[in-house]
Amino acid sequence: TGGHTTEILRLLSCLSESYSPRHYVLADSDKMSEAKIRSFEQKRAETFSKSQFTLDRIPRSREVRQSWISSVLTTLYSILYSLPLTYKRKPDLILCNGPGTCVPICISAFLLGLLRIKRTIIVYVESICRVETLSLSGKILYYFSDYFIVQWPDLKKKYPKSVYLGRIV
Amino acid sequence: VRFKDSLAEDLQSADLIISHAGAGSCLETLEKGKPLIVVINDKLMDNHQLELAKQLHRDGYVLYCNCSTLVETLQSMDLSTLKPFPPGQPEKFASFLDKVFGFQ
Repeated sequence: TGGHTTEILRLLSCLSESYSPRHYVLADSDKMSEAKIRSFEQKRAETFSKSQFTLDRIPRSREVRQSWISSVLTTLYSILYSLPLTYKRKPDLILCNGPGTCVPICISAFLLGLLRIKRTIIVYVESICRVETLSLSGKILYYFSDYFIVQWPDLKKKYPKSVYLGRIV
Repeated sequence: VRFKDSLAEDLQSADLIISHAGAGSCLETLEKGKPLIVVINDKLMDNHQLELAKQLHRDGYVLYCNCSTLVETLQSMDLSTLKPFPPGQPEKFASFLDKVFGFQ
């Protein structure tokens, strides 16, 4: 959604074509991100003609201020929904930066890893908005990601297993 | 309520921006090199968006006030104290990932 999409496209801006094809996963309720992504990929195709990408949608795992119990149920549903998608794409890398949408995808990839079906490297970049505290997605994925990147030094101190590269968006 | 697709044009032609503490608004403004006063909504104290506005203020990039002190801030502000905002470095992220995957 919104700010997350802008940030993740900035993260992608300096990546080489080794990171291709790119598979974008959006929440079904997200109306604005698709346009931003297509615009980004269109510009990219001007430089890298063989550039490829896909776009998939999954049910949104949690609404803002949704109750705890119903969040667990909707997230479980989203994880089940994500499993066939992650199985189909079998990504080498999952890059995410915090919207609720990323949790079920990462958990589904983690499960496929446990089942020895596909080992995916999960890289989580916490949003630049997070200076002192982690988002809920961040708190969960701190334990499931291979690399957890924060953009402010306070968070590096609080979460010692994280990686601090300064501001990267 | 009126919405625009993009505020880029308005930002470009303005001399001073007064904005809420939303990250997108703050960063877009700072990246255009415009002086920014962030107005905090006291009633949303729990809002994590304050974290970024506070940090930007601590680092000297923005001025900071709430609705009741806005007028006073406008009257007494010295915009020359604001520091230029260095852009983020996504190339550092790219280098990091390249090392993880062994790409040169």
